[in-house]
Amino acid sequence: MARRDPRRLSRRQFAFLGTQAVGAVVTVLLGIPIVGFILSPIFHRQQVVWRPVGDISGVPDRQPTKFEVSFPLDEWTSANVNLAVYVVKINSQTLVFSNVCTHMQCPVRWQSDLGQFLCPCHGGLYDIAGKNIGGPPPKPLPQYVHRIDGTTLFIQNSFTESI
Amino acid sequence: MGRIAAIYDWLDERTAVRSLARKGLYEAVPVRGAWFYTLGSATLVLILLQLVTGIFLTLLYVPSVTEAWASLNYLKQHDAFGSIVRGIHLWSAYILLFVIGLHMVRTFFSGSYKRPRELNWVTGVGLFVLVLGMAITGAFLPWDQAAYWTAVVVTNIPAYTPFIGSFIRALWRGGDFVGPITLSRTFGIHVWLIPAILFPLILAHLALLRKHGEFGSYINYRGAYRSREGVEVPPAPAQRPIEPPYPAVPTDELWAAPLETEDFFPFQTFKDGLVSVLLVIVVFLLAVAIGAPLEAIADPSTTSYTPVPEWFFLPLDELLLLVPQQLIPLVLVLPAGGVLLLLALPFIDRGPERNPFERPAVMVPGAFAVLFVVILTLLGSGRLFNL
Repeated sequence: MARRDPRRLSRRQFAFLGTQAVGAVVTVLLGIPIVGFILSPIFHRQQVVWRPVGDISGVPDRQPTKFEVSFPLDEWTSANVNLAVYVVKINSQTLVFSNVCTHMQCPVRWQSDLGQFLCPCHGGLYDIAGKNIGGPPPKPLPQYVHRIDGTTLFIQNSFTESI
Repeated sequence: MGRIAAIYDWLDERTAVRSLARKGLYEAVPVRGAWFYTLGSATLVLILLQLVTGIFLTLLYVPSVTEAWASLNYLKQHDAFGSIVRGIHLWSAYILLFVIGLHMVRTFFSGSYKRPRELNWVTGVGLFVLVLGMAITGAFLPWDQAAYWTAVVVTNIPAYTPFIGSFIRALWRGGDFVGPITLSRTFGIHVWLIPAILFPLILAHLALLRKHGEFGSYINYRGAYRSREGVEVPPAPAQRPIEPPYPAVPTDELWAAPLETEDFFPFQTFKDGLVSVLLVIVVFLLAVAIGAPLEAIADPSTTSYTPVPEWFFLPLDELLLLVPQQLIPLVLVLPAGGVLLLLALPFIDRGPERNPFERPAVMVPGAFAVLFVVILTLLGSGRLFNL
């Protein structure tokens, strides 16, 4: 019997490599679209729109006042989502805060007895200007991108800084 | 030969069902500790309860931000039996978390994770993590206030991973904020992704259990082995011939087995069944008497709702409160490190000693870890429920 050339693939080695190659092809052909599918929403840009908050001429000085504004929920649904807006006037300056805590994104509320914004989840505190002054929040209270036309406040469903 | 026996023979020739039944039913189970083994079967029964009730809940539930709450509210208002099914799903999940924890503590205490059962333990840790994953994802689905804020906080925790945090958060949420894709993804993870891993892993866990059998109690092994010098084993009713060395001095003859064993069927199955049926009755009563709550529909604009976590999140929630802002990633590191330590346990604690009182190096840190979680839970419940 002729001796096999060791430099050449045996039938067994060929089949072994072939099986692995088939597995690799299937993995790649399935893997690329699936991974792309999982990742694609991340690269989907949220639809940013302006919405009127309302007339803010009646908002008293140093008294955070809550408004609710409806925004499209985006993606495939036609439903809307209400977002909370705290309008704060300090002297002539107007600040437009969200109720999203920068710690774990719980709903922050204005506590008039404390004179502070309180997060009920883990006791985060913000002062009237939104500065994080107590508890675990690592950043100030987020502010909406906004503009004021006369006395009407408009906001975007986006924050001035990412949280 | 009877007709039934003939059918059985016919089937056996084609499927080897007889040897499978023998292996499954007539395993020798150590008598000592038999009641503790019921925790494992109770875990299985509760998981199967989850599977059955979960399948039926999908016949009504709609995983959509506009419909999820409404579909469950319909269930609550108009479907008494459906409400019981949902109640069973919730309460058996709660009790499952307790029982799987006890099952783990028992295994830890008795040192049953040691050679050759390391992979029984590793698959068990995997099952524990997956069951926790089911509890977490399941908590999102009702899309009431409790579910929504749980989803917000839980998906925000990975955001504190260094460098890639907000990427991981966006991956789960399907965007920067909790929304329609978050619910679709979480539903898919809850009903398909995790179960697709969970159930094969249960099969592996059980196959390994049958391969190695229960270790039994270390008390059973005192003097129950043969030494190299030829000292005879004390007479024992049943000897397992395939047990690895105990104590660990490896000799060819040194095979040990629990002294007293009984057949799995019907002796152990009776004990297992008794405990399981008790738990199922408790679950049923809780499902009928209390049921599954459904709060008001999710409202991101609320400034009056105080989110209260599910009880199994309490230790994590308390950690979120206690960890200062510079160290928030600790909230990720501690649970992840805990799971890694659990996975590594059988490879760290490799000595032959099974007596819990002779293993202080493992038992003391283990006891402290359990104490830590219990204290966090008590602190959290005290804070949230003014106990």
